[in-house]
Amino acid sequence: MNFRSQQAANKRKTVGLLVGMVVLVWLVVYAALTYFGTTTVGIVPIAVGIALVTVWGSYYGADKLVITMTGAKLIQESDNPKLFNLIQEVTIASGLPMPKVAIVIDNAPNAFATGRNPEHALIAFTTGILDAMDRDQLQGVIAHEMAHVANRDTLVSAVAATTAGAIAILSDILTRMMWFGGGRDRSRNNNGNPIALIFSLLILILAPLAAVLLKSAISRKRESLADATAVAFTRNPAGLRSALEVLASDSTVVRQKSTAVAHIWIESPLDGKSVSKLFSTHPPIAERIAVLKAMESLN
Amino acid sequence: MKTIAVLGIIALIVLFFIAQYNRLIRLNISVDEAWAQIEVQLKRRADLIPNLVETVKGYAKHEQSTFDAVVTARAKATSASSVADVAAADGMLTQALRGLLAVAEAYPDLKASANFLSLQDELATTENKVAFSRQFYNDNVRSLNTAVKTVPTNFFAGFAKVTEREFYEVEDPQDRNAPKVNF
Repeated sequence: MNFRSQQAANKRKTVGLLVGMVVLVWLVVYAALTYFGTTTVGIVPIAVGIALVTVWGSYYGADKLVITMTGAKLIQESDNPKLFNLIQEVTIASGLPMPKVAIVIDNAPNAFATGRNPEHALIAFTTGILDAMDRDQLQGVIAHEMAHVANRDTLVSAVAATTAGAIAILSDILTRMMWFGGGRDRSRNNNGNPIALIFSLLILILAPLAAVLLKSAISRKRESLADATAVAFTRNPAGLRSALEVLASDSTVVRQKSTAVAHIWIESPLDGKSVSKLFSTHPPIAERIAVLKAMESLN
Repeated sequence: MKTIAVLGIIALIVLFFIAQYNRLIRLNISVDEAWAQIEVQLKRRADLIPNLVETVKGYAKHEQSTFDAVVTARAKATSASSVADVAAADGMLTQALRGLLAVAEAYPDLKASANFLSLQDELATTENKVAFSRQFYNDNVRSLNTAVKTVPTNFFAGFAKVTEREFYEVEDPQDRNAPKVNF
């Protein structure tokens, strides 16, 4: 598959997954109504409200927040003219505005992008990645990060996090209600059919897990999309491919292992073995390399 | 009731017309902007050349024909204005610069000089920027030309005074099978 069909396929899959999220929210609301009756309707806006405030606050201030969480330091053109030259090349290829650039002092090679829109974008590199990579590889990494900016992945992951958060809060409140006094509500609604009640109970228990799985799947699709978009920018799949090979062969991981910002790095900072594939925020690196190799063979 | 429905449909049609018209104008402006970017990058490269030629001259005085080729190509590149002319001059200058760097290969002292090394890096990034701005321009021209030729935007092209634009094609026979030169 060339990069254009890769981009289209990944965008389609993201839309499908986001629709899945909406269906899940709808299922949870349905379950709440069948299990507890219409009195619980008021909880839905509360849960969504809490999720919105927490996630969208961090979305709006994404660039500043991530700087604090990762210990990244902003740099100017005079600090690293070669890096800025490479970034300018990619901004010209993509037509995006120049992002802010930051450095994380860490020997593990890694990089990330954030910011609520292209005008507030920030891309950061660890000192390790700047040392480990040659010009073409670094250009591939920059293109991948700028692809996240172009595809508005901070927004996509904020939407995914909001729905997953709302579902978690909702089912948390509802399961608590079930233990303490749920019976009262049910006795008022005792004409409900037992199959629907069991089904609703299952939904309430499994929904938070399903939401996390969907959120991770969306994150993985956005990573694949960013790889394809990076190739659209540079038309050089070999650069990003060999950069990923460097990342794959390197066993050091970024010291700061907060799961809260794990999804934003180019290579997942969490230990790959302890995270099963379904919960992983990134596709397996070997799979990403194989896709890029297939694009190379097209040229 | 009926009049409201009719007015609603008319409003929708008007909005549709406006959207098509604006899309064409927007695409046309993107092509203009992409073109301006090419010019900025070509200017940047032209500004680098006198310095580069002087540096190489300091070590390799007897390569006058190579210097002349670069200087003439640069003069042509700075005076061209139509897309085809600029593209042709760009191709010529790229080739002349390759010749100049090939000459530099024969002078180890020159290759080792700090001035030349920093110029080389500048030239490498400038060549990439020129290439990427070309690519970005051609992508934009492709979207515009597709819109001008396909339904429904093609009906509005005349009204919006937007026509197909020219691709930026560098005629460089060496590009096909020449070994890759790393600046």
